[in-house]
Amino acid sequence: MLNLSLLTPALALAGLALLILLADMLLPRGRERWLAHLAWISCAGVLCLLVRGLGDPAALGRGTLWTVDPFSQFFQTATVLAAMLCLLLSLDYRDLPRRQAGSFSALMLLSVSGLMLLTAAHDLLLIFISLELVSLSSFILAGFERSHPKSNEGAMKYFLFGAFASAVMVYGISLYYGAAGTTRLDAGAPPDPLLILSLLLILLGFGFKASLAPMHFWVPDAYEGAPTPVTAFLSIAPKIATFALLLRVYGAFFPAGRYGLQALLGLLAALTMTIGNFTAFFQNDVKRLLAYSSIAQAGYLMIGLAVGTPLGLQGAMFYSFVYAAMNVGCFAVVQAVGREGGYGLDAFNGLAKRSLGLSLAMAFCLLSLAGIPPLAGFIGKLYIFAAAVESGQYALAVIGVLNSVASVYYYFRIAQRMFLREAKGEPAALAVGPYVYGSLAAAVAGVLLLGVHPEPLIAGVRASARLLP
Amino acid sequence: MIEHAYLIPLIPLAASLLVLFGGKEDPHSPMPWVAIGAMAVCLGLSWTIFQGAASGALALPYERNWEWFSFATTLGGKSFIYAMPVGVLIDAPAAVLLVVVSLVSLMVQVYSVSYMHGDPRYKRYFAFVSFFTAAMLGLVVSSNLLVTFACWELMGLCSYLLIGFWFERPGPCEAQKKAFMTTKLGDSGLYVALLLLYAKTGSFQLSQIRLFFEHGYMPAAVATAAALGLLLGAAGKSAQAPLFIWLPDAMEGPTPGSALIHAATMVAAGILLVAKTYFVFLASPVAMEAAAWLGLLTAFLAAAMALVSYDIKRVLAFSTISQLGFMMCALGVGGFTAGLFHLTTHAFFKALLFLGAGSIIHAVHTNDMRLMGGLSKKMPVTFLTMLAAVLAIAGVPGFSGYYSKDMILGAVWEHNRLMFGLLAFTALMTAFYMFRLFFLTFWGEGRDHDRHHHAHESPGLITAPLLVLALLAVFSGFGLSRGHLVERLLPKPVAAHPAAETAQAAPRPEQSAAPEAARAHPADHAHPIHHQEAEMPAPLASAVVALVLGAIGLAFLLYRGPTYPIADLLKSRLRPAFALLDRRWYLDDVFLALAALSDRVAALAFWIDANVIDRVFVDGWGLLTRVFAEIGNALDVHLVDSAVDGVGGLAADLGAGLRALVVDGQVQVYLAYAAVFGLAAAMLLML
Repeated sequence: MLNLSLLTPALALAGLALLILLADMLLPRGRERWLAHLAWISCAGVLCLLVRGLGDPAALGRGTLWTVDPFSQFFQTATVLAAMLCLLLSLDYRDLPRRQAGSFSALMLLSVSGLMLLTAAHDLLLIFISLELVSLSSFILAGFERSHPKSNEGAMKYFLFGAFASAVMVYGISLYYGAAGTTRLDAGAPPDPLLILSLLLILLGFGFKASLAPMHFWVPDAYEGAPTPVTAFLSIAPKIATFALLLRVYGAFFPAGRYGLQALLGLLAALTMTIGNFTAFFQNDVKRLLAYSSIAQAGYLMIGLAVGTPLGLQGAMFYSFVYAAMNVGCFAVVQAVGREGGYGLDAFNGLAKRSLGLSLAMAFCLLSLAGIPPLAGFIGKLYIFAAAVESGQYALAVIGVLNSVASVYYYFRIAQRMFLREAKGEPAALAVGPYVYGSLAAAVAGVLLLGVHPEPLIAGVRASARLLP
Repeated sequence: MIEHAYLIPLIPLAASLLVLFGGKEDPHSPMPWVAIGAMAVCLGLSWTIFQGAASGALALPYERNWEWFSFATTLGGKSFIYAMPVGVLIDAPAAVLLVVVSLVSLMVQVYSVSYMHGDPRYKRYFAFVSFFTAAMLGLVVSSNLLVTFACWELMGLCSYLLIGFWFERPGPCEAQKKAFMTTKLGDSGLYVALLLLYAKTGSFQLSQIRLFFEHGYMPAAVATAAALGLLLGAAGKSAQAPLFIWLPDAMEGPTPGSALIHAATMVAAGILLVAKTYFVFLASPVAMEAAAWLGLLTAFLAAAMALVSYDIKRVLAFSTISQLGFMMCALGVGGFTAGLFHLTTHAFFKALLFLGAGSIIHAVHTNDMRLMGGLSKKMPVTFLTMLAAVLAIAGVPGFSGYYSKDMILGAVWEHNRLMFGLLAFTALMTAFYMFRLFFLTFWGEGRDHDRHHHAHESPGLITAPLLVLALLAVFSGFGLSRGHLVERLLPKPVAAHPAAETAQAAPRPEQSAAPEAARAHPADHAHPIHHQEAEMPAPLASAVVALVLGAIGLAFLLYRGPTYPIADLLKSRLRPAFALLDRRWYLDDVFLALAALSDRVAALAFWIDANVIDRVFVDGWGLLTRVFAEIGNALDVHLVDSAVDGVGGLAADLGAGLRALVVDGQVQVYLAYAAVFGLAAAMLLML
């Protein structure tokens, strides 16, 4: 059964991306900004399409290589939402070459469409193709500021690492084919050593996209060099979509417990959290700091996978949604501040005097990342740690809590600079674009509302934590 | 109409809010007519209820309740949900009182339109009066003791506002405080009684509490305590000894306001409360006896004070206290009908007296009776109506006061001969001082020619209410006692079981079941038995009447003017007695001394607090805390902080180490790490 109609949203988005590329050629000069608007409106339209299909039996089902179930719908919605907010941020980002607005938007949309396919895939073939679609778009996006040496360096490192990871993954896929005789994941192969080796190699490939240690080394460089909206995008959308994939493969098709991977997943979670948090201590560049923070956050999400229970699955889903809101908020503020003062921590000195609203929003997002109640991040962490405790994996829960405590230190470094330090010279008012304000408001509203009243999202997560085999 | 009885307190409440907040404050505002209209509607409603009750068409008591709120509670080890109702309970006394209160309030308000005209806070005055009346009507109809208490307190507030209406002057300010504090002292007793009743019966519902009593479940000691608490509350509001000290000072308010307080609302509330909770008193002979003696004492003390006062309003205030004493005494000796009958007739003639006095003061601009005299020709309507009132209060046969006072004396005669003697003597004093007031004011020639010359009859809006009330003062007694109407209307309730013998003997059922049963039969406690009130022997009654007439004659001899040689002689001979009465039995001084004493006690307590408690306990405790804090601090600095620093240092070292891995930023190195990890993991898994 082909059932291509199940992929309508993703394919529509890809089509729109191509349309934008085409329009870029036809549109007269100076009108490129229209394409940027068209891009986020496309995202919004696809989002509407997705939301209408939520829980609709007609929108669910299996195709040849893909499965659309409530689980994939949830992650597709989250991904498209995050991508839309990032596109809005890019509208106010001045350092993008104006004339390339069309190709920028098209690449973003293609990348999102790849991510949407990724969340629905149940065949390694489709997984590999969509991952490559995402990766190739991301490499270009990360190096989009071509005149900026850092951007070039980051993109190059990202590309090299990505090539390595792809190679490892393809090797793993070939081993899988050897072991199972098919690229379908639902073959139900017995846990023999060859299969386990292939799963390990595939995991390393996925780990590259999800920035799990030790596949995380590209993250700070790429994040530092990429244009800020792209950084925001890279830190959110590929990560949560890859987590959807990880949850599907290592949670549903190859339960970690049955295939002896549980210890490895736990080790990866602990390693990722610890490396991310402790390396973040000494960063003086906000984007690098947030890069390490996002590595650490991936570690928390990894706990949900390592636990492997339904509660862990729900926790990871909840947290990935919340994570999107928190990171969009942080990067929106970083973009607004960095536009004038650069991305050093010093740029945040005395921000509260210059723009109280911006610094409060930043403070909320940072506190939420650190997991301080009553913000959304707290509820998410609580969910995940509770899952770990419930399944008896106390060590993971303890490591997670200790890491949360340690992370407060570097998050508060920023808060302390915003509220307690004086800016050099006269504090000048900060010019913030309307789109940045819009996406920031959406993100902060999410962080606050989901923290105070998480019930609707929890209900949504419960309803969506249903994977079709 | 009785199903709309709940409207009776709500209409004046709405009117008062409308008058208070509607329109601009203006000395000539038409807003008072809103309040008067509302009160007329109230009177109409009340009258239909009264008529239904008098003709027997209405089955009283009528009770209707609405759910208010509910809460979980535990009483005597039983948990249950208590649904607090709010509702109306109209029994016979309430039916009578409704008419009395709304009628007197209506008359007072019509009178006030003219009397208060031009006052800068004209509108506000009517709002207060309406609110006052609403609170009183609420008290009358409420089926719930808690709501009753709320209305009771609202009346306290209203009396405070009305007495201190002219708050710019120091007198009203002091008086309002005194009234509020004194009645509050009594309210505390009521509050305790309320809680006691609730704690024992599990309900605030009068009908249910009554059922509880009638089944004899209430221990006698608790009944006594509750009854004494209620009595204290009533003593505060109804100005019984020794809490009557606030009432004479309450004269500082506007005169029609005083009429309202003295006739219809405030002071009647205490008597009404006792009547409403009469079953509590019936269960406690001690409390009944206490109420009787308290009433007698009050009646006597107040009447004696009235003998010597020259302030016309003060004399009326003392007479009010004295008459309230009569009522309380009647209730105490079991004369339920007599007490409430006297409350009714007294309301009419006392309102008339106050309004008449107001008319006089309006004309001569003084309260001092020594500056009046000879006003009969100048103010014929006031003179005639006052004559009717004075005859009524003195108890001259044919006038309303005679019937009710006769009934009270009959009940007391039955109960205790000594009490009868004292009360009869007080009745004679009443006749004497009222006619003293009357002769001093109206008889003879004007003693202050200037004032006398300018005196004139009051306008129609003042005299019309006087005439209405005068008719009532003359005929209400006869009308109500004809054919034993009052005994039929206000039957004397009896204790169903002597509480003392059944409290222990009766098997105690589930306490929570009692309210249930009561809810099922809300009107179960009607007593169809009519008890004839006791009467005095005919010769005695005639003797009393003769003595009253004699007292009036004595007053005529002493005070007919133009000079008062005998009165002056008496005054100079009996100077200490006069001084005693003039200083109001030194009760004010006693209370002041008590206040001063409590001041001293407070000072002593403060000294102890500052020098003993603070020095020894607080400072000592502080020192101790400090010592512990120092120890804790030392531990903190040397042990905990070192540990924290160690952890922090460890974290820093870990971070620096991790960072050193990537510090050169070579992609080859990154890839090597990833490959090494992958290999290691693969080897581990394969093994």
